[in-house]
Amino acid sequence: MTLTTTGAEAARGHYDAVIVGAGWAGSLIAKNLDARGWRVLVLEAGEGETQTWSGYLDSLETFHSAVAKVPNSAYRHNRAAPSPDVLDLSPKQLSAQDEREYIANGYFVQNGPLPYGSDYIRALGGAGMHWLGAVPRMHAEDFATHENFGYGRDWPIDASVLEPYYAEAEHQLGVSGDAAEQRDLGVVTDRDYVYPMHQIPPSHIDNHCREKVDGATITDPMGAERTLHVTGLPQARNSTPNPNHHHNTTHGYQPKGAVGLPNYGERCVGNASCVPICPVQAKSSPQRLQDDFSDRVTLATRSVATRVLRGHDDRVRAVEYRSYGDPASPVSEPHTVRTDIVVLAGHAIENARLLLFSELANSSGHVGRNLMDHPTTLAWALADSQVGPFRGPGHTSGWEEFRFGRERASRAPFRIEISNWGWQWSTGAPMSNVAAALGLGGDADGSVRDSGHLGPELRRLLGDSISRQLQLQIAIEQWADPQNRVTIDPSRYRDAMGNPRPIITYDLDDHVRDGVFAAYHVSERIFGELGATSYTHHAPINGAPRIGHFRRGDTDLTYSGAGHGAGTHIMGTDPGDSVVDSFQRTHDHPNLYAVGCGSMPSVGTSNPTLTMAALALRSAERIHRDLVELSQPAVVRPRPAEDAKEMV
Amino acid sequence: MFGKEVSYLSDTTQSPEAEDAPLLDSPPVPDRGATLRFVTLSVPLTGFAEFDLHATGMAQLYLYTAQRQVGETRFDAFLDTVEKESNPWVDPLALTSTDREIARAVTYLWYTGAWPRLAVAAHADLRREVPNAEFVVAPSAYTEGLVWRTFNGHPMGAKPPGYGTWAIEPASTPSFSAIASECAPGEEPMGQQDEEAGAVDPAPHLLPGPRVSRDIPPSAVPTAHAANAGGSNE
Repeated sequence: MTLTTTGAEAARGHYDAVIVGAGWAGSLIAKNLDARGWRVLVLEAGEGETQTWSGYLDSLETFHSAVAKVPNSAYRHNRAAPSPDVLDLSPKQLSAQDEREYIANGYFVQNGPLPYGSDYIRALGGAGMHWLGAVPRMHAEDFATHENFGYGRDWPIDASVLEPYYAEAEHQLGVSGDAAEQRDLGVVTDRDYVYPMHQIPPSHIDNHCREKVDGATITDPMGAERTLHVTGLPQARNSTPNPNHHHNTTHGYQPKGAVGLPNYGERCVGNASCVPICPVQAKSSPQRLQDDFSDRVTLATRSVATRVLRGHDDRVRAVEYRSYGDPASPVSEPHTVRTDIVVLAGHAIENARLLLFSELANSSGHVGRNLMDHPTTLAWALADSQVGPFRGPGHTSGWEEFRFGRERASRAPFRIEISNWGWQWSTGAPMSNVAAALGLGGDADGSVRDSGHLGPELRRLLGDSISRQLQLQIAIEQWADPQNRVTIDPSRYRDAMGNPRPIITYDLDDHVRDGVFAAYHVSERIFGELGATSYTHHAPINGAPRIGHFRRGDTDLTYSGAGHGAGTHIMGTDPGDSVVDSFQRTHDHPNLYAVGCGSMPSVGTSNPTLTMAALALRSAERIHRDLVELSQPAVVRPRPAEDAKEMV
Repeated sequence: MFGKEVSYLSDTTQSPEAEDAPLLDSPPVPDRGATLRFVTLSVPLTGFAEFDLHATGMAQLYLYTAQRQVGETRFDAFLDTVEKESNPWVDPLALTSTDREIARAVTYLWYTGAWPRLAVAAHADLRREVPNAEFVVAPSAYTEGLVWRTFNGHPMGAKPPGYGTWAIEPASTPSFSAIASECAPGEEPMGQQDEEAGAVDPAPHLLPGPRVSRDIPPSAVPTAHAANAGGSNE
């Protein structure tokens, strides 16, 4: 049972550790420290209404009534703890060369050549509420791109160090997957490993692609030649438990379902709305972990950390935060809570913002730098027969072959997701199909269109043109470039409560752009193999470039954000060019940790949550050891003379 | 919500200002007769039978929404026109341009649960003070959208079909004549040829193109360009 409290009450307690942020990383560490007997305070900036079933249903209705069903559409706007939204970006009619092609409204201030197109949500559970639940592991070669391919940064640890933590994270998140397939890919190396639950069934679209494309050889423009095979995706989503799964001394797995409604959501029923909200909670979320907290953990919602306070030496001593009563207004009051260990577990951008405003951990000058995402390019087509889109989880399989290999030296690698949700992301289907088939909305000059259908022909046309929709979502690796960064300017840009807003400077370098270019060409060749008609369109429309548009040579390309923000408090061995060590402890302050995707030196082509979770579990062990050391009693030695006497 | 206010379902000639109106700020909700007529005339617009339209439970709310957006008198006139023009289907080009856009908006409402953004010329012609912006009428309207049924689907985030159903081949979508006979039993389909599903790609202007940004509502997404726009990328 999750016990939440107010910020004012929380400040009166004593805690061994204070964790800022109740998303995946913060909740995993809190649960782990709780299990070892430590008293923990978790400060959550946002609202916590989703932990009750009625509050969760309210979020579901918020999603149902949203015009734009984007990742944050299920979660109410919060003035006290604002979140960035993909709706904040608008295109700009091009007037001059070299001008920025976007306008950024909302929480982020953006001044880069290209837009940072990702959001996150400041609410209980964080982005772990609206995530898809895709949990592939990183590949061994992803941890050392500099050594292997000459770009990016290498990790101070390798895949073998993380492997047991990956397995533990998969147990705690509740993952369904086929370990044999992942072994073939090389990301699982333990021969006996079994996921907690059987693989989520691949979609009919996956099977369509397997039948038509498996065994075909595709060559990208850089000469990388790959024979394609559809591979299933491990997902933090409930399926059938696998009795062969082992965890410590127990075997089997009991799925955990909805929080606040027992015996519900223990298996995915195909609502097809994982992003932004799973109506039955078969998709895993941090609320499941919070539900298991004992009363040693205090969870305070509506509590916005403002600064971490430093003591007289290198150690930090307290967290300053503000609590508010109404998310519609930023009226708040300040509190300070002292503690032995501080763990920043907000989103990568929030962690950087807090460190910068606290003026901590930045002797390297790298706080806020190396911001990464997975720039994602979309490709869409009509299949030659109906394939059954808009059913099941967002994607259940992909083509993994272009993720690996020596060609990474010449262009960024990419992972091809086969979408189960038709043209939703690219065009706003199926609603936009209705408008287009009707001829609704007028011409560019505002006049009513002549052509369009009504009645039975409309219905037939929609049935045909929606049921054949295919979409590929291709996530491209972005390496840690110090030029991509988060800064603050408290004198100019603050939110309504008075906290500094993140200022983002973002771009894609040539290596990444070449990856987008290669991905586009590969998608066209795949559609050729499928016998599908491509409708992929990256060129400006009526003079307006799509968000994320750029040109590579004569080719128009676009990318979207994947919501995979990373790299802002980067991990390394050298305190001169990194912020945290391999335990995510800041080099500058022995009792200040910054955890989450912000620590990752590279993101590979895997959705980063699982790697973040593995890192958090490793950090929890280290924090436990720190706390044990701090609470060791002083060693009281008897006088040597007496010692000697007793020895006799 | 409207469905539960039983008093509204009875015939009433009261003006909303009347002292004995059921609730102080209650809107002048359409009566049963008007709702039945609206549903009958929505059949040639949507291609769904009266039975299916009633089964959404949304008819009264949709009529009310359309009246508010278009103006009550103007919408009555529009329904008269639809009645006159349905034979049994409605040829969009037989309608004036503003009536054509209203017909599309009402159909969009039935299909998606949202009132769309209209062509600027039509919105201006209606001389309404309501903003020309898309909005979802009610959370339950979204889940009752007819568009999902055109391809044997279910609304995303509601009415889930069950574990593993996404792995099976979906049932094929109905032909024009099957739909027509469902809507108007006994009527001969007129002038329409059945097309083999999947044999021909639809004209690009009947398909959506890319959303330039995520804040573009579905009703304002530009239509697709020629198939394989990849060619124009190079």
